[in-house]
Amino acid sequence: MIRNNRMKRFSIVSSAVIVGALLLGVAPATAADPGITAKEIKLGMSSPIQGDAGKVYGKLPGAMKAYFNYINDNGGVYGRKITLIHRDDKYAPTLAAKQTTQLVINDKVFAIVGALGTPTHTLAYGSAQLAAKKIPDLFVNTGFSGFDDLVKYPTAFTVLPSYAMEAKVIAKYIKDTPALASLPSAFIAQDDEFGKDSTKGFTASGYKFAVPFKDTFYPQGGMSLDRAKGALTTLNGLGIKLLVLNTTADVSATILKAAESLKLEKKFTWIIGSVGGDSNTMLFLGVSPATIDGVIAASFFPDAKDSTDPYIKQFMTINSKYNKGITFDNVVLQGMNTAMLTVQALRAAGKNPTRAGLIEAIQTKGSTFASAALLPLNYSKTSHVGYNGYWVGQLNAKGELKPVGGTPTIYTTDSKSGPVVVSSFKRAPLPKNGIPNN
Amino acid sequence: MKTIKSSVKFFIFILTGLILLITSNIVGELQVYQGSYVLTYGVAIASIVLLTGYSGQLSLGHSALMAVGAYAAAIATNTYGVTPGLAIVIAVLASIIFGYLLGSVVARLSGPYLAGTTLALAVSLPTLANQFSFMGGEQGLMFDVGTPPSRFGESFSLYKWFFWICAVAALVTLYFISNILSSRYGRMFKAMRDNQLAAQLAGINTSQLKIMAFSISSGMAGMAGGLMVMLISGVSPSAFPLSLSFLLLTGAVVTGVYSLKGVMLGGLVLVAMPEIADIIALNVGGSDRLTATLPGFLVSALLNLAVMFAPNGPGQLLNRSHLKKKLGKEINDQK
Amino acid sequence: MLKFLTTLLISLSTGAIYSLISIAIVLVWRSTRVINFAQVGQATASTYIGFEITTRTDNFWLGLLGAIFFGAALGAAIDRYFMRPLFKNIKTGPILMIAPVVATLGLLGLIESIIGFIWGLENKIFDAPVSTVGFTIGDTVIAFSPFNLLILISVAIMMIFFAILFQKTNVGLALRASAYSPEIASLSGIRVNSIRTLGWALAGGAGALAGMLFVPSASLYPTSMSVLLVFGFVSAVIGGLDSLFGAVAGAMILGFAINFAATYISSSLVFPMTFVMLILVLLFRPNGVFSIRKNRVDK
Repeated sequence: MIRNNRMKRFSIVSSAVIVGALLLGVAPATAADPGITAKEIKLGMSSPIQGDAGKVYGKLPGAMKAYFNYINDNGGVYGRKITLIHRDDKYAPTLAAKQTTQLVINDKVFAIVGALGTPTHTLAYGSAQLAAKKIPDLFVNTGFSGFDDLVKYPTAFTVLPSYAMEAKVIAKYIKDTPALASLPSAFIAQDDEFGKDSTKGFTASGYKFAVPFKDTFYPQGGMSLDRAKGALTTLNGLGIKLLVLNTTADVSATILKAAESLKLEKKFTWIIGSVGGDSNTMLFLGVSPATIDGVIAASFFPDAKDSTDPYIKQFMTINSKYNKGITFDNVVLQGMNTAMLTVQALRAAGKNPTRAGLIEAIQTKGSTFASAALLPLNYSKTSHVGYNGYWVGQLNAKGELKPVGGTPTIYTTDSKSGPVVVSSFKRAPLPKNGIPNN
Repeated sequence: MKTIKSSVKFFIFILTGLILLITSNIVGELQVYQGSYVLTYGVAIASIVLLTGYSGQLSLGHSALMAVGAYAAAIATNTYGVTPGLAIVIAVLASIIFGYLLGSVVARLSGPYLAGTTLALAVSLPTLANQFSFMGGEQGLMFDVGTPPSRFGESFSLYKWFFWICAVAALVTLYFISNILSSRYGRMFKAMRDNQLAAQLAGINTSQLKIMAFSISSGMAGMAGGLMVMLISGVSPSAFPLSLSFLLLTGAVVTGVYSLKGVMLGGLVLVAMPEIADIIALNVGGSDRLTATLPGFLVSALLNLAVMFAPNGPGQLLNRSHLKKKLGKEINDQK
Repeated sequence: MLKFLTTLLISLSTGAIYSLISIAIVLVWRSTRVINFAQVGQATASTYIGFEITTRTDNFWLGLLGAIFFGAALGAAIDRYFMRPLFKNIKTGPILMIAPVVATLGLLGLIESIIGFIWGLENKIFDAPVSTVGFTIGDTVIAFSPFNLLILISVAIMMIFFAILFQKTNVGLALRASAYSPEIASLSGIRVNSIRTLGWALAGGAGALAGMLFVPSASLYPTSMSVLLVFGFVSAVIGGLDSLFGAVAGAMILGFAINFAATYISSSLVFPMTFVMLILVLLFRPNGVFSIRKNRVDK
């Protein structure tokens, strides 16, 4: 009898618990498009604040909120305030999936914006049913070329140029520079989509490294100073003279510091991809300025330290007023730029935006949006690709990226096997005070 | 007596299932979504109750065991085109086999050595998935559970369908486990846990029993992993990190690691805590830093409080005050 | 040849770092029979204190001293105000094994979130007190710098210090006795509680030293040392939780295994190697490689 009662109690307790929890929430009637009222537009963002990726990208949501607040103080978007609801996903795919789902069914946002990371967002996109629910997924913060697949990710719009594009541009630059083309080279990268997307690009361009890719890939979190020393010694022993790095900024710092400790820093010519080429972080983490001097890096923005650039100057002003205490760098620049694109997208969707209307607006008008980047935006009915190229420059001892020869040469390409061409794109001028009026 | 007991128990489970069914039709999408997580975590916590609470083996590797089930289910659907329902069964089978193998190796390890091994397992198993392309590498695999059967109609939410699957799986699993634990095996587990030497002297084959506990516990964890894959619609190497093991252990300890009674409550705590913490952080206002660190702080604080004041489960709190009253009365009577 | 030498040298470096943590873990285990998962959190917190001092005074050694004192004090406080009340509540059963594990895990989370709140989540760094450029032999610069040497020397000093303490002093004897048999120890007049707190203090100081020596090669943020938790713990288990010598040896074994596998086979083997080493060791020596007792009856 006791057992009976215990079991009875157990089952009743558990179902009561669940029922109670379920009933405590109320099921509201769903509006036509959630997340938008006469006074407010709610946008959702899932990105890392804590953890390894968080220390690199943690500034992103704050920078976006700063820009949105600036716009809100200047009339918002047709009178509506933009509220950015951010959820920390610690760069863990399961958590990103959960958080994005929460943004949709709990916070009921109008659109997702600035989702960060490939393993995180590829999982989150499906898990939150963004395609089935036709929720716009604006300006994904990753260089993974797979997001331009309109069948798999019909509502997603990329913004950053893909890693494959970057690899092709770098390959062309190496081939076109005789001093570099003759050097035996190796490619050090993370062994996830970050690295693998780039290998696609290098393969498509026909450029060959002297060392097979799998020998120089490392797992995320697995490149310590000691490991870097080991890798550099091996590569030096093989006669490698050119190293291309597709790493996060803290890892490129580690590798450069390892080179310094082995006095190998000048034995290699360094090319660092746009993610790892954040000179601010590298200098901050103790890489010596003499080592940074001469490092070749690719970017699609003007240098974040260049206060003569009108976009940079405007963003810096907004940053000091609305994002107090945060140093302006590449990440902040990226955040504010994405926020500016978002505002223009919302404006282009008209005075009574719908989710479908937002998507259509970017498709038809997105390529004309003003942005800080020196590359064109390529949105159309058949393409959700944002920036499609890079310019290549050299860092100086202060960490400033300067184009080789004065004005930057803009290269554009695609993520597949199309050629790399020099573009004559001139970006749109900054809207007055940085407030879009499209 | 036995037949009445088990048929009444069976009835109770059916009744619970019906209650859940009815409730799921009333509440909104968010609630069934979260409810599915509560059920899934509940199953995972039950696996810990079995392994640690009943057979006395502390494992920090349940995240890896869930990962085995999850990957088995995902590979089954992706490479072999198996239907999702069957995939979850495969998940359980694969985990049981893995648990059996693992148990055979580690069952003879004691306390911290077992903990250390399972810890290393939890850390390294996910990175293995990165190596093999059929496991999807870093990207992971998608798991498409498809749409709910068409007979339910157009507006039948996918999340409600998940909830039904989770509810059935959880109820079946818990029914099965509670039967085992109230049987002879349950008594043997407890005897072994309380005094291994005495149990051996009484003729219990402890190493076999430990391996059995490992296998069943893995199977349950694998089922939870399979359910998670369905909820997330995919799996990747970083889907089951070490911190998940810690989280499950927390849920088990907070709601009582010795009995199955609290497992659903534990699941609820795990789902509700981050939400509550977020709400508190939002209302308290304060810096971005606060909102980032407060949830972690609250969850850890809850764990510490639970371990300090009710390490044997919340029932202990009630018992203590009851005991104090009783003791106090007796002492007073004796004066 | 250089590749082999380099791998050897970096294995020594890696092993040295791991041993700093495994020593702290073994210290707590030997004196209180608890596996302290919060060790790395305490080490990180102490390192933040050291960071503050070093950055203000521009002196690494002052920061180191400050960190060690803080680490010891923090360790003592945790034992006195957290672990002791905890053990009062639990007497028998498997909860005795689980509760401290869960408690120290909870403590780890608590410490990390407090650190994050006070100092923020961004990277911080300070420089090593000596050069990090490798020594030059002939015309090659080897993968071993004065800083690596400093770490090895610190490990050696710690080992000697604790060996003398445990084997040759009354305090050391009291520490070992209280861990092995608290009832008998207290019957012979040892103040078991205070001795245990001392054990935690020593471990806390050791962890602080570990953190201060780790950060210059990496960077400092709230979870910067959690990757060491697994390596340090596995090192301690491989060496057998009994002896500090085992802790260092286990760390070296792990450091060598990981680096040789990563250099000669594949760099993705860093984490799986850890598990493989552990299983190999425990299959043949279930109580660790250097364990003195072969058939220990676990309490």
